[in-house]
Amino acid sequence: MAKDVLDIKAESAVMDTDKMWIIMGPQHPFSHGLWTLKIQVDGEIVKDAEPIVGYLHRGWEKEAEARSYPKIIPMADRLCYAASMTYTHLFCMTVEKALDIDVPEKAKYIRIVADEICRIQSHLMWLAAVGTDLGNFTVFLWCMREREFFMDLNVRLCGARMTTNYPRIGGVRNDTTELFDRDVMRCVERFEKVLMDDIVTLIDDSSVFVSRMKGVGYLTREQTVNLGITGPAMRGAGVDFDIRRDDPYDNYDKIDFDVPVMTQGDSYSRYQVRIEEMLQSCKIIRQAVQKVKALGKNAPYRLKVPSNVPAGRSTVRLEDPRGESLMYLISDGTDKPYRLKVRSPIFTNVSAAKPLVQGCRIADVPVVMAMIDMCLGETDR
Amino acid sequence: MVMEFLKKYPYDENIPRRTLWIMKPFVVVSKLFVKAVIHRDVAILYPYEDLWMPDNYRGRPGLRFEKCISCGICVRMCPTSCIELVEVLDDAGNTVKRPQINLGRCAFCGYCAEYCPVDAMTVTPEKELAEYTREDLIYGPRRLACDKINKNMEVHLEETLMSDIKNGNSERRVNAFMTDRPILDSSKCISCKKCEKVCPVKAIKMIEHGVNAKGRPILWPEINKDICVCCHNCVDDCPKSALHMDEVL
Repeated sequence: MAKDVLDIKAESAVMDTDKMWIIMGPQHPFSHGLWTLKIQVDGEIVKDAEPIVGYLHRGWEKEAEARSYPKIIPMADRLCYAASMTYTHLFCMTVEKALDIDVPEKAKYIRIVADEICRIQSHLMWLAAVGTDLGNFTVFLWCMREREFFMDLNVRLCGARMTTNYPRIGGVRNDTTELFDRDVMRCVERFEKVLMDDIVTLIDDSSVFVSRMKGVGYLTREQTVNLGITGPAMRGAGVDFDIRRDDPYDNYDKIDFDVPVMTQGDSYSRYQVRIEEMLQSCKIIRQAVQKVKALGKNAPYRLKVPSNVPAGRSTVRLEDPRGESLMYLISDGTDKPYRLKVRSPIFTNVSAAKPLVQGCRIADVPVVMAMIDMCLGETDR
Repeated sequence: MVMEFLKKYPYDENIPRRTLWIMKPFVVVSKLFVKAVIHRDVAILYPYEDLWMPDNYRGRPGLRFEKCISCGICVRMCPTSCIELVEVLDDAGNTVKRPQINLGRCAFCGYCAEYCPVDAMTVTPEKELAEYTREDLIYGPRRLACDKINKNMEVHLEETLMSDIKNGNSERRVNAFMTDRPILDSSKCISCKKCEKVCPVKAIKMIEHGVNAKGRPILWPEINKDICVCCHNCVDDCPKSALHMDEVL
């Protein structure tokens, strides 16, 4: 009897199995957006991976060259649906640097509030996606429910939910509306409680979900730096760098907050960094709203800026919810940019697909790739 | 500063093996269950009831027909070029030009309302815009009218001048329509009268400044700076670029 059964362990050492390429995407439940991940598998183990992006290329950078500066702001909204506020903010900061103007204090603080609302909303969108990737639909529904409150704050602030079109070159579109500060405080207070008591409990107290994330998708600190990964994915691997703190733009240097850094470098640490970042964003929002309130109602919030930008180059970077996004503007003295380059954090982060999923099992690929929070609008541009 | 989450759930190499972990989600979910039993449904029965919308909600663009001066700033500022000026009959029977919007292309950015010098364009709270054909999505000037426009929907361009902040006069609000005016470089002017024709508010008058070598009168535009709304039409249409906008900063 025993002779008939093959000794699998001994056999597999000498048996040469064929490697197979599996194509996940562009229409695949795990790929959040239109992108393809080709993985090479040996049995169940992933040996190689190759991301393919470009299905959503719209010629954004070329289109921007044919538009006057204010007209690019609604386009920058559409770079990423979850991070519309930060991309508009980034574009406005780039043009402001080219114009060499200083934005009023109030506008800076309102932009911080708007950015952090955007960050929380983007991270919630990511958490919802992770929930479905791990098979927990309750997490998805509850994150979407919480996200609605922040969407409502966006409507209160500027009248639109997603494509906000709010920052302007030289300030913001409108002053904070009546009772906005009260709404923000209530919303943030409620969110902190719900996130800690409900949503996180569902994930962190359950060994099923933790074991899916813990110990998979390891990246070392050196690998992270060499691959150019930025954002929460980088901080989860022990690189202590946040542009908000280390190269502050607007008034982030006047605000007290912590940057969560984990040293383990697996999927779970990236998850933890993002959850903690949401709670830190709540702290930032509280302080910034108080600062806006202290500046008074009549403080200026928008500067009148010249329509022609003097010839030159300017580069500005900003801490996007997903990482470090950068815009590089070459202006030629007219009211249209000569060249506008966007550095999208995800385009670089997705190139880490191979070291991330190497050695994982096929079932782990969705959750490992979900930890870099794909957004294809900004990647393909 | 304390990191609330990382303190409560520190990274532990061992995966938690709590015996009662399976009950915890049930407890959390049961809170919502009790809430839903006692209170009403969480979902909104959409066609029968509607979400509450704030006053400044940015829906489709609207137009106040009688306020419009057909300056074309909305056409110039529209990022998707979905606005064009069309000729319609006004209440008195005269042919006038008014914006027509293709909502199939509209990005709902609100620029037309923001940059309108006379607040004729506004945003409206209307959001149910589904139609059966693409042609139905083209809203003519009369169809753009909306009676739900409230005061908060008039987005005003309230800008502060950099010079005002330097002088400590930071509470003053201006916009380009109040401050910027076109300036003539008379050496380039060829007296073509084009600027006079395109001016929507008739702020430009051609004034005679002597006779040229061929015996024809030299006409230079004179701009009435009180009426001008800084619509850039004369600057854009000048064939010799004799006019340029003087931006007050």
